Amino acid sequence: MRAIKIQNVSKSYNQELILDDLSLNIPSGQFFTLLGPSGCGKTTLLRLISGLETVDSGKIFLGDEDITYQPAYKRRVNTVFQQYALFPHLSVFDNVAYSLRIKGVSEKIVRHKVLHLLAIVRLAGREFKEIKNLSGGQQQRVALARAIACEPEVLLLDEPLAALDFNLREQMLIELMDLQEKFKTTFVYITHDQSEALTVSDSMAIMNHDGQIEQIGTSEEIYEFPSSCFVANFVGNTNIIEGVLYIRDNQIEFKVDGLGDFWVFVPKKKSWMVSGRKVFMSLRPEKILISKKKMENFSNHLVGTVLNVVYKGRSTLYKVRLKNGKLILAFEQNEEHFPQQEDICAQDEVNLYFQKENIVLLER
Amino acid sequence: MVERNIFVRILHPIFVSLIYIFLYLPIVVLVLFSFNKSSIASGWSGFSLKWFKALLQSPEMLEALKVSLIVALTSTFLSVLMGAALVFASRWWKKSFLFNIFNINIILPEIIIAVGLISIFTFFKIPLGYESLIAGHTLIGLGFVVPIILSRFKELDPMLTEASTDLGARPLQTFSKIVLPLLAPAIIVSCFLVFTLSLDDFFISFFCSGVKVQTLSVYIFSLVRQGIDPRVNAISTCLLAVSSICVLVLCSSKIVGQVFGYGK
Amino acid sequence: MNFVKRILQEEYPFIFALPAFMWQLFFLYLPLVSIVVFSFLEFSPLQGFLGFSFSYYVKIFKLVYLKVILNSFFLALFTSIICLVISYPVAYFLALKVKRFKTLFLFGLVLPSWTNLIVQIYAWFFLLERRSIISKLLCYIGIFSEPRHMINSYFSTMIGMVYCFLPFMILPIYTVLEKMNRSLLEASSDLGASRFVTFRKVILPISLPGIYTGLLLVFVPAFGEFVIPSLLGGAKKAYWGTVIVDKFLISGEWRSGFAIATVGVLFLGLFIGLLFSVFKIVKVLKTKRFKLKIQASKK
Repeated sequence: MRAIKIQNVSKSYNQELILDDLSLNIPSGQFFTLLGPSGCGKTTLLRLISGLETVDSGKIFLGDEDITYQPAYKRRVNTVFQQYALFPHLSVFDNVAYSLRIKGVSEKIVRHKVLHLLAIVRLAGREFKEIKNLSGGQQQRVALARAIACEPEVLLLDEPLAALDFNLREQMLIELMDLQEKFKTTFVYITHDQSEALTVSDSMAIMNHDGQIEQIGTSEEIYEFPSSCFVANFVGNTNIIEGVLYIRDNQIEFKVDGLGDFWVFVPKKKSWMVSGRKVFMSLRPEKILISKKKMENFSNHLVGTVLNVVYKGRSTLYKVRLKNGKLILAFEQNEEHFPQQEDICAQDEVNLYFQKENIVLLER
Repeated sequence: MVERNIFVRILHPIFVSLIYIFLYLPIVVLVLFSFNKSSIASGWSGFSLKWFKALLQSPEMLEALKVSLIVALTSTFLSVLMGAALVFASRWWKKSFLFNIFNINIILPEIIIAVGLISIFTFFKIPLGYESLIAGHTLIGLGFVVPIILSRFKELDPMLTEASTDLGARPLQTFSKIVLPLLAPAIIVSCFLVFTLSLDDFFISFFCSGVKVQTLSVYIFSLVRQGIDPRVNAISTCLLAVSSICVLVLCSSKIVGQVFGYGK
Repeated sequence: MNFVKRILQEEYPFIFALPAFMWQLFFLYLPLVSIVVFSFLEFSPLQGFLGFSFSYYVKIFKLVYLKVILNSFFLALFTSIICLVISYPVAYFLALKVKRFKTLFLFGLVLPSWTNLIVQIYAWFFLLERRSIISKLLCYIGIFSEPRHMINSYFSTMIGMVYCFLPFMILPIYTVLEKMNRSLLEASSDLGASRFVTFRKVILPISLPGIYTGLLLVFVPAFGEFVIPSLLGGAKKAYWGTVIVDKFLISGEWRSGFAIATVGVLFLGLFIGLLFSVFKIVKVLKTKRFKLKIQASKK
């Protein structure tokens, strides 16, 4: 399995620049996700990798091979389309067998492979059904089997779960992960759903509205150490507070107008972290402890009034207004382990506690 | 919306029925009298198939029938083949451009096309006959085949051809395995359409028929010129039967809109 | 062999389009051009190509030929108008009032026109000639004093024309009305429009493209008709089509034939162009009036 290397690729549609000098390395054999808002160019990038579109400029490599101008039917890259694009006039079996028969594989081997694949995607016994008689989930699995049949090096998945309902989606995500584990094919998965991305990826790239890669890393890296406000906001919820950075005796402080100073722990000092610089801080809602009582052992402390309380089943979301007018979100898990769970309602005065390790400083 | 105006509510269906009667009266009478024992003179004198038998005994009629069939089958084959090939190559052009180029065949008065054909054939000193007939009929056929197949092609989900290409199929393979099967209904309808059109054609046949080679329409015309002839009734009944089959195929496939609905 | 392989692998896809294009070029466009070109050529069997001249145009610029074109024009015009008047209610009925068996109705409509032209004409010939039933019937009722020919008149020509062209006017209008979004009608009545107003402001404008197509499909072929007038009309009047037949197939005066053909097509083209512009202007006027109304209401 070879890695994909995208080098300085640009693509425009109808005079609109979608991808601008984009470079990306996709490691081989992993479940790689491309996460970004709708319309940011993820599908375009996918189509460039598959060969269904050609770049305006730049190069695409599969390992050492330059596949930039190689036609789609020659590339060992297959796509699972968002709307499946199953051939309506062919049965399930014939759809999955399509790529094998194109290659001229003998019918015996075709039969063996297709039945095996259909068993893996749990469609055994449905080989001769017509496409239109299948449910959404079943169609999706046929599309998947069809794309893997000829054992491509790379499998591109363009928001394949978008048309499925919630429970089915969860189930399919796990099946996809299992498939990738099993075949060790490089999966390049596109989605705008960050929870999907976090669940499924070995590593991911975040793309912003302008078609540029903001950050690449594992789910944990991206979630815990986002590199920009965009990433912090897009992946999970966060509170962004603007302030000024101060460095004093190797201690890093973050001063916010009207709120005071916060201690920040920075694992690795970045070049842009200079004293006096205007920066942002990101604080995840679940890292905040909300309480009416006084707590010790927390590096940072804020006071505010609860605006509203939203009960979400697994958790409760609090919207708190701080002294300087800023709104902060705080999550609390609704667990039963600690019976002295206090009752916090709107209009209550509360304390927000958080550790200095949980703050992430962002340049932009 | 229910018509509250009773006047209109009754008149409208009556009017439409009258029109249908208008359309069918001549044909019904025609067919009826093809089974009439005597030649038209007075009324009905009994059921008889003798005029149909007379058809089979008329060498000119049979010859004209042979010509018509050969021309119709050849024109159908040629126009559908070329039309499908055109669609295969059509990804490189704007569809509306192709549409318009071939639409002209139908918009232009047939008489002009006919005149053009005979002048070309005469200029190149090719005698009028099968070649000119087939040339003309195929031309008209193309005018229908191309818009029909192109429309159906446009309606195809473009993702299907992309999926096929993505899975490793070369363009010709994509065309033969995916596009062609999905276009099959349109192709079949086109075949019936062109076949009927060719059988029914008069203008081009009239001009392009040679001395010895004439189609059924032209022969019937010469008969009608001389007055009433019950054999014409008989052959008309046969032609109507053939047309009905083709029209049935046409109507049940919902292509009607594409043939007549492409107005500006 | 390599070249063939490359063609099949579709590196030269346009090759597949060539047959159709060549056919069009050779059998349609080339002839059309040659018609126009030859109408200007002066030829002599002995001396060959002599040069360009308008002589044939001069020859045909006699009143009799112009009258012929006008005859065809009015024939086509009357046919179109009558067809339109009859077709609209029928198309409306089929599209909006028929709930079940629509295919059957359509089939019934298309069948008479999708038969041989000569068969259609002969059917009326049969029906209208002296010894036919209708004649006898009318005699019986007392309208006629004795059975007689009803053909060989302008009336019978018209019947034949309308008969042959009617479905070609109905179908485009039907198609457009059929495709119309029904909720537009509901919205219109919901907003307070009476049935007549809905018709005038919603249905009629939407059906305009269908009417335009229908007019094209009827007027143009009707202009070139000569069979119907000659069989049903007794060849009393001369039409553009009959003149062309005469020039090319009977008298052999091809050059005049080309000239007349070109003039006829030009005339036809002009008329169609006029029609097209009228439709466009109507469209533009309506939008303009609409815009003006909006501007006025804003003030």
